[in-house]
Amino acid sequence: MDQKRQRQPGERGFGIMMLGLGLFLAWQAYGIAGFEALSSPGAFPMAAAAAMVIAGAVVVVGDWRAALRDRPRLAETARAFTAEITPSVVVIFAGFVIGYAALLDTLGFLPSSFLFLFAAIHFLHRGPVVLSFGVTLLALTVIYAVFRLVFQVILPEGIVPEREIMAWLGGLVSGGAQ
Amino acid sequence: MRHILLGAVAALGLTVAPALAEYPEKDIQGVIQWGAGGSTDTVMRAVTPHAEKLLGRSVVMTNRTGGVGVIATKFVQSQDADGYTLLMSAENPQIYKVMGLADTDYSDFIPISVLARGVPLIVANNDAPYNTFAEFVAYAQANPGKVRIGSTGPGGVPSVVTAMLTTQVELPVTAVPYDGDGPALTALQGGAIDVMPAVLGAAIEHVRAGRMKVLALIDTVENPALPGIAPITAEYPGFGDYLPWGPFFGVFVKKGTPEDAVAKLRAAYQAAAEEADFKALMDGRGFKLMNISGAEAEAFLAKWQSVTSWLVFDAGIAKHSPEDFGIPRP
Amino acid sequence: MEQAFAYFTIAWLDPSLLLLVAAGTFAGIYIGAIPGLSVTMAVSILISFTFSWEVNDALCLMVGIFMGGVYGGSRTAILLNIPGAPSAIATALDGYPLAQKGEAGQAIGIATVMSVIGGFLGILVLAIAAPVVSDFALTFQPRDYMLLGVLGILLVGSLSGESLAKGVMAGALGMLIGAVGLDPLTAQERFTFGIVELWNGISFIAVMIGLFGVSEALAQLHHLDKAAVRQQVSKIVPSFSAIRKYLPLSLQTSGIGVIIGALPGTGGDIAALMAYDHAKRVVKDPEVPFGQGAKEGLVAPETANNAAVGGAFIPMLTLGIPGDAVTAIMIGALYIHGLNPGPMLMIDRPEMFWFMVGNLTLANVFLLIFGLTGIRLFTKIVECPRGVLIPLILLLSVVGAYAVNNSVSDVYWMLGFGVLGYFMKIYGYQVGPVILGVILSRLIDENWRRAIISERESLPDFFLNLIASPLSAVLLLAVVLIFVSQTPLWPRRRSPR
Repeated sequence: MDQKRQRQPGERGFGIMMLGLGLFLAWQAYGIAGFEALSSPGAFPMAAAAAMVIAGAVVVVGDWRAALRDRPRLAETARAFTAEITPSVVVIFAGFVIGYAALLDTLGFLPSSFLFLFAAIHFLHRGPVVLSFGVTLLALTVIYAVFRLVFQVILPEGIVPEREIMAWLGGLVSGGAQ
Repeated sequence: MRHILLGAVAALGLTVAPALAEYPEKDIQGVIQWGAGGSTDTVMRAVTPHAEKLLGRSVVMTNRTGGVGVIATKFVQSQDADGYTLLMSAENPQIYKVMGLADTDYSDFIPISVLARGVPLIVANNDAPYNTFAEFVAYAQANPGKVRIGSTGPGGVPSVVTAMLTTQVELPVTAVPYDGDGPALTALQGGAIDVMPAVLGAAIEHVRAGRMKVLALIDTVENPALPGIAPITAEYPGFGDYLPWGPFFGVFVKKGTPEDAVAKLRAAYQAAAEEADFKALMDGRGFKLMNISGAEAEAFLAKWQSVTSWLVFDAGIAKHSPEDFGIPRP
Repeated sequence: MEQAFAYFTIAWLDPSLLLLVAAGTFAGIYIGAIPGLSVTMAVSILISFTFSWEVNDALCLMVGIFMGGVYGGSRTAILLNIPGAPSAIATALDGYPLAQKGEAGQAIGIATVMSVIGGFLGILVLAIAAPVVSDFALTFQPRDYMLLGVLGILLVGSLSGESLAKGVMAGALGMLIGAVGLDPLTAQERFTFGIVELWNGISFIAVMIGLFGVSEALAQLHHLDKAAVRQQVSKIVPSFSAIRKYLPLSLQTSGIGVIIGALPGTGGDIAALMAYDHAKRVVKDPEVPFGQGAKEGLVAPETANNAAVGGAFIPMLTLGIPGDAVTAIMIGALYIHGLNPGPMLMIDRPEMFWFMVGNLTLANVFLLIFGLTGIRLFTKIVECPRGVLIPLILLLSVVGAYAVNNSVSDVYWMLGFGVLGYFMKIYGYQVGPVILGVILSRLIDENWRRAIISERESLPDFFLNLIASPLSAVLLLAVVLIFVSQTPLWPRRRSPR
């Protein structure tokens, strides 16, 4: 998109990592069926992995040339990397997200999403607690209603016995109606 | 807070079900092994609304696809054996063991109802220079490797049918794999393949319209949907050892589910499968309604497993011998 | 003819059917807009829901949802950079930059009008040429599907941004991601490392939400303090002169959409991407460069994916062969309602064809009405403070990724690809080619293997048939021409560095 994009700290490392991934996948692709037949399940993956390795090598060579020209210092790059690529806000937020994903299955959708949304909005927006609480509640209600009730997506139930509560409430309503 | 939320939802009338002290106390989850729009999905979505009425609870159906159905099967196995998770599946688990896909089969489940069975047949492109099964075999033998036969991968219905054929006749054909019998039948009409072993229901409309021709009906009796086509056993009685054979659909629960839950589910699904519109659907798609459970279903499943496991093993597409799992030769 | 017209107007004249089409279209827009909710899913739930209904009622609702859903994907693609459906991926490429400039309202306006135009053209082809097109679609052999896939993969050239090598690398990674799982043809494990959860492959929707939505949300964290972009809400409905300007392009891309939609092996997602590539090649001087908010980049995919709806119905109504995943489920619905969809449907139930054409047309009219109302409210979403919006996007992404297969591991994949996408964007890799690779991976892989198996592993026979068949020869020529036309651009594209 941006034609005059500045070279970012860690770019060379990322390129090498992608090339490494390509090599690993090429090795894995070879392991599927070797050079057994043109129609083997491994033929296409090997071709794709080869393309990835070749393109990756071109990228890494280009990065290396630029590095020889600019001669960046490791310590400086590391400092720039933490400041520009992974500033604390990104790291902390990513931590929230990872915690959320980890708790999703065991704790269940409703409690884990509530914790995540409330904490994340409060941390990022820094508004009054009531606002964070209200937005969290509203968003969860809407999402739960659309996904679980209308589209019958069974979200992870975890520790909340949702179906029992619904059955109980259902019983209460129909009991009241009779 | 949650109670307010749920109360509001309930007040909107989104959940209306009578309160019962016995099974089912809450909604039931139905796990469909195959994707939306497939035969298994269609059958389950057609029969379940009737069963729901009798159970007095919703059965929420979700498609958990993948791994030839292993993912859904393992998921249901990982849930409690309380009758609240149903496995809505096809024949595949019965050959997981020999195909090396999983260490489970229907002996780990209780059949609620084996609903219906499909009838296989062999169809060919209209331009193919043979019109009967015997002519097809002769042509294939005279032109080894030239005839392209559709397949849906090892263990799929076409591969088992082809394996069955090769027990009686030599058939040097080239198998071209497709994602399912639908895409393969499309390819047959476009001439990308010449012959396809398919399920009657998938091919019947195309046959009626004269867009493909039937070479053989893989059954022991003539089918009302295909009048005038003799069953393959008329000419090749040797196939009688394996037939009747065909893919099937059923509803299962995990072994260990309480008796009363099993009984209620059985009663509900048995009655649901007898509804006129479900029967009409099965007829229309060329399936034979079975609607069996209990010992009858278990015997059917065991016979099916024995026939199929040995067929795929003898054809060389199985990873393990059925003997390793104590599956007797038919 | 009179008869056909009578069937055509069944739904137009019956108030309850009219209402069902309207409700379906309205619901479809929101189903399409929410990632993780798909038309496929909605229609299959409707099968049980409409079980006891009349078949006409059920079909009206389903057709509305289909039409609305294909369009609805563009909403979130433009506003949040999360394509609500795979067919809106190409829409995000230029739609999101427009929203970033405060022109979300205009972008949605153009997307709506163009979707409707594309939709009408698709229906027109369905109405006048269905038997011809479906017979043509059937003549596509595995090698032709493979060539079509290769044609699509050449798009990497125009999606790569600053560096072609980085684009190729991303595209190849995408194709490898698409190959993960049990091989659909031989059931052999590929890149599964013995993990059963990987047998079904990595959910393509999870990859898409992660790479587009989550990575963008993470990138937006850098601009927390900046005020949200003010959206202009005037000039939402595009002017006639603007529509006239884009008309030639939209005719071409609608044509692409109908054909790709009618092919049983491809759907609206591939149609939209191919149309985007086509626009990039034929429009020499867009007002704004592609990828930075070119209106042509919205026109092409939006016309194509809605034209593909009409296309998908062509083989379904004439032959009972589904043109895509949604029509496959609708065929199941017809069975359940006691019809036998197949080549005989046109003869047994002649009213069904024109009834469906009428429904589609009606749904398209409602699409225009509902699409152009409420845009102001929608654009307000982007004016939300980032501190509130970003966590909400994450929540929606998690639910969306989970809902596709009811699988928590899909959520982990989604987040993993979100992080990967974040770094890719920073280091000048485009995420578009990855998605392209994932979409086309199976198409190329499977059809290459089918083709070469059919030739009994003989490369000479394969190439001979490639040239001998007129259709294959034309496709091959297109592949070669596009490849060659892109090659000289290569050094020019690199020169600004």
